[in-house]
Amino acid sequence: MSDVTLYHWEPNANSGKPMLALMEKGVAFVSHYLDLLNFDQHKRDYLAINPQGTIPAMRHGDRVLTESTAIMEYVDEAFTGPPLMPADPRDRWRVRWWMKFMDQWLGPSFSMIGWNVFVGPAVRTKDPDELKAAIERIPLPERRTAWRKAIYGLFADEELKESQRRVAVGIRMLEAALGKREWLAGDRYSLADINGFNLAYALPLSQPKLSNDELTPNILRWLRAIYARPMTKACWAMGRTPMVKRVAILEQQHIGKEQVT
Amino acid sequence: MSMTVYHGEPNGPSFTVLAALFETGQDAALVHIDLAKGQRHNLAVAQQPEVAMNVEGEGPVLMVDGEGMTDSVFIACYLDDVGKGGKLRPKDPYARWEMMAWCRQLIERTAPAAAYLGLNAHPPICDAAMLVKIGSVDLRARWQHAAAGLNTQDRLADSKMKISQAVSKIEAQLEGREWLMGEFSIADLESYAWLAGMVELVPSAFAERPRTADWMQRVRVRPAVAKTLSLAREPQPAAYWAPGPEINRWG
Repeated sequence: MSDVTLYHWEPNANSGKPMLALMEKGVAFVSHYLDLLNFDQHKRDYLAINPQGTIPAMRHGDRVLTESTAIMEYVDEAFTGPPLMPADPRDRWRVRWWMKFMDQWLGPSFSMIGWNVFVGPAVRTKDPDELKAAIERIPLPERRTAWRKAIYGLFADEELKESQRRVAVGIRMLEAALGKREWLAGDRYSLADINGFNLAYALPLSQPKLSNDELTPNILRWLRAIYARPMTKACWAMGRTPMVKRVAILEQQHIGKEQVT
Repeated sequence: MSMTVYHGEPNGPSFTVLAALFETGQDAALVHIDLAKGQRHNLAVAQQPEVAMNVEGEGPVLMVDGEGMTDSVFIACYLDDVGKGGKLRPKDPYARWEMMAWCRQLIERTAPAAAYLGLNAHPPICDAAMLVKIGSVDLRARWQHAAAGLNTQDRLADSKMKISQAVSKIEAQLEGREWLMGEFSIADLESYAWLAGMVELVPSAFAERPRTADWMQRVRVRPAVAKTLSLAREPQPAAYWAPGPEINRWG
């Protein structure tokens, strides 16, 4: 049995990053699925592994690692297999720059919108007392605030508007970067692409007015190229929710402005 | 390959980058710019996405072959990769993960708090002509916010708490250690960079923290750091702030 266990939710956002990195690297791992919508990540068993209660976490031997992007760099360095960081130091800088931009600026905007339309409504139907108790169990105060907002639909209009503004800016930046380079940070597939795909795999569905074959041909080329990789398909096949099944949009030959189905 | 560093006072991100440059024994042309007056936005590469949209806010720019590189931790990683001198990252992948995860949490929680408190005590001066040059809408808003003194008591209190938490974490980490990761690393530079100016602004955070005080002194007397601090033009570089990373918008 593998000495690597990954504690993760769906192949999406932070969970999907180390999932896909491990698979591209050819590292066998024990998959420990945590249902984010059932608050598994705040239950005692998991808090014993990661006291911060954030997903994902990875156990390698007797060590536990957190922070999805830092885990990806570890996976690339600790295991043999195809390198997922470029050889050139400046390209490596660019990989890190774009990952941070997505992790800390663009990603939170995508996820605020996603939590507002997907996560919030999905858990809101649970028993109110159960929800209240679930929120109180969350270790990090920031995460407690986030969940409260998602569960009770408390995102202010201006917050959502700002997130939508950032998503539009981010899409323009990704399109420009992918017009200059084949992959996000250079001329080879890297952790930046794994990170970006987790953020943007359903972009033509979630933002049809901002991303399609006419407006963002380079983003669509890039998403399809990542989706064509066998490990991407294998990774997304591990998903259980309708949210990640949206990746099938990338099977369409052409996604025009009005053609999203 | 020739390098130019456009840097501000040796505090925050400029501190990390200059010290990393000297620690790794490299030559670069050094050009002082006043980050607290927004002079970074006059650079030819100001609108390059990796410069304009840098999550770190105002910070130094390393120019290599016409490309502007930003983000102090990642520039330090780059300098470590191409450097001739001592190494700034551990070799072991797990120790490297520890260092990157440390820096990530510091950048996400401590740095925005430090910048908020630093700017509150030392508001920047900005004029309309400078503001229009800022490519990032949210960075521009942080400038306006800081210059107008719109800081809230809630955020000031929360920021002070985050500084206290960071110092507690450092104090615990230094038990039986000289440096945060065991060996000297980027984590020491980046942690010092954001906390040096907090000693005066949040003194309670540093009370009865002997290991932290000794560590700060050890950082200061390193030759590369002493050289970095000697580049200061202000009498107290750690009291010199420009808008930094934003405080987490949500969760």
